[in-house]
Amino acid sequence: MNATPGGRPIIFLVARREVLKRLSGRVFRIGTVAMIALIAIGILIATVVNSKNGPQAVRVGFVGATTTLEPAFTGWATASGVKVSVGEVADVATGTAHVTDGTLDVLMTGSPTAPVAVVQDSVPSEIEPALDVAVLEARLTASGLTPAAVAEAVAGTHVGVRSLAPAKPTDPELGPKLAVAVFVAFLLYLSLALYGSFVAQGVVEEKATRIVEILLGTVRPSQLLAGKIIGIGLAGLLQLSIVGAAALAMFHATNVVSIPALSLTAILEYLVWFVLGFLFYATAYAAVAALVSRQEDVSGAIAPIYIALIAAYVLVSVVVPDPGSTVSAIISILPPFAPILMSVRMATGDATSWQVGLAIALELVSIGGLIWLAGRIYANSILRLGARVGFRDAFRGK
Amino acid sequence: MGPLAIEGLTKRYGDVVALDGLSLEVPSGEVFGFVGRNGAGKTTAMRIVLGVLTADAGDVRFGGTALTFEARRQIGYLPEERGLYPKMRLAEQLAYLAELHGMAPSPARAAASAWLDRFGLAARAREDLQSLSLGNQQRVQLAAALVFGPNLLVLDEPFAGLDPVAVDVMSGVLREQADTGVPVLFSSHELELVERLCDRVAIVDLGRIVAHGTVAELRAGAPERRSVEAPNAPADWGEGIPGTTVVSRDGSRLLFEIDPGIDDQALLQAALATGPVREFHRVEPSLGEIFRAVLEEDAS
Repeated sequence: MNATPGGRPIIFLVARREVLKRLSGRVFRIGTVAMIALIAIGILIATVVNSKNGPQAVRVGFVGATTTLEPAFTGWATASGVKVSVGEVADVATGTAHVTDGTLDVLMTGSPTAPVAVVQDSVPSEIEPALDVAVLEARLTASGLTPAAVAEAVAGTHVGVRSLAPAKPTDPELGPKLAVAVFVAFLLYLSLALYGSFVAQGVVEEKATRIVEILLGTVRPSQLLAGKIIGIGLAGLLQLSIVGAAALAMFHATNVVSIPALSLTAILEYLVWFVLGFLFYATAYAAVAALVSRQEDVSGAIAPIYIALIAAYVLVSVVVPDPGSTVSAIISILPPFAPILMSVRMATGDATSWQVGLAIALELVSIGGLIWLAGRIYANSILRLGARVGFRDAFRGK
Repeated sequence: MGPLAIEGLTKRYGDVVALDGLSLEVPSGEVFGFVGRNGAGKTTAMRIVLGVLTADAGDVRFGGTALTFEARRQIGYLPEERGLYPKMRLAEQLAYLAELHGMAPSPARAAASAWLDRFGLAARAREDLQSLSLGNQQRVQLAAALVFGPNLLVLDEPFAGLDPVAVDVMSGVLREQADTGVPVLFSSHELELVERLCDRVAIVDLGRIVAHGTVAELRAGAPERRSVEAPNAPADWGEGIPGTTVVSRDGSRLLFEIDPGIDDQALLQAALATGPVREFHRVEPSLGEIFRAVLEEDAS
């Protein structure tokens, strides 16, 4: 019904024009390059930080009888690819002091068959297996090689631990995760603001230039609106996909960070949130923009919607310090904020699946409502040139 | 194709009556001129035909059936407020509009370039609309109304802002379109052009048609006029000749209006009585004069 023989569907034509227009625009080219450059800079910073305190050797000191564990430990650790630096320590007091001031990571005390590791908080997990095997060997040596003895020796070989300053468990990936979360929030905010305003400007441009009167002779308002939103949205999605792919490629090449927040799946999830957020904001933008007829009135008209988007971005600072809190969970489920805040909480790994599901469901429901409302307002005001159309008039179609 | 039949259109904006039962019919192959003062309702009527405005009452039929959205897509429309995308290349823009009206991509491109050629803009096909002068933008606007091969043309002031060359091209195009059977409805204040171009004319005032017909039919209702030049006659020779009135004077040339049933030979005799007569001829009122007379009559 939308096209006569040989012609293409109207929405396709409208959307194609929008996509081509955006792709040939400066914002697309420069914006894409800028976003990728930003990620490259981020990777550069991460690399510098990593090389400073990055994969360092675990320093293990042996005192007294435990020195016999050293060769086996070093051997096993090296074999399993863990960098260690070992040394003998004069006495327990000196070693403990080194652990306390941080010049030593682990101090092995006691007997070779039942040693005690003195550490700040916990034994670095990567050297634990090597320690266990070294102790096992010591026990086997000490007890002869009967199967029973081996079995007995194997039982309970785990090294006893005495923590000097027990710390609450922290996520070693927390730093990178938060950095990624904040960066994703920024990119989403930027893209939603940019492409949302393209929709608003596009709607007003057609009113301001009066071309809408020609268009509506052959295109229904709903087709024009849908084509515009789809076209501009696809351009935005394409830009973010290029940025996402470039980011993935750079992470892969530099191997600087590999955390779940930067996996392919995660990036696809962020793109889904862009699509949902874009549909939400673009539809709202289109509705309010249809009320005015001049480009200079656009910013005033879209201000209320833009404020909601800014609020979503500002609330990132509420979510980031404690992404797992109830407050964070609640605000990240609300439709105006979910696209940005839920992405943040998914990046930090704090969003549970029911929260994500609920947020998506609410987002879809509100998008549906907005499309209905915007379609009505748009159709009723798109041909009303001149003074700003009142919201109620536009809704009622008076 | 056609006819386009408009019947009893009524439209009010609050207390303002824009259309008050306007009816007209444009048969297939006819160029129909729509004249009237500013605010008479011409634009409102055209916008209702295009469906960009809805009437309070009345209907619009094309080929005997009510105009549906699909049927309206085949109307070539030139709105009063011109508008195209300023930052889009001419050829792309016209091809896009042609496709929106249902043409397949490659015929759409061909039609776009053919119309640009016709309006003398072929060399600028790859330029943005905004780089053109207003007159040239106007030509593109006309091409936009024609590019998809419409089966009805509704043009609001198609000649406004055109240079004489473009006026000739446009006149030729309208005639040509009508000759292929397309009904052409256009409004204009250039009454000489309307007179020359139109098969029929309707004069609109206060939202309704106050006179319509061929220009000859409209003239038939106007009073008979004679222009007389009698160089040696006294200044007041024209006063008091029974059944005649002096409408205007230009030196020794007087324009008379003759009441119905009065023999113009009596006027000639009176003129000859003053001396030589250099000129004595019938003056047909221009459409402009008919227009003013009709509006005056309508006002009283």
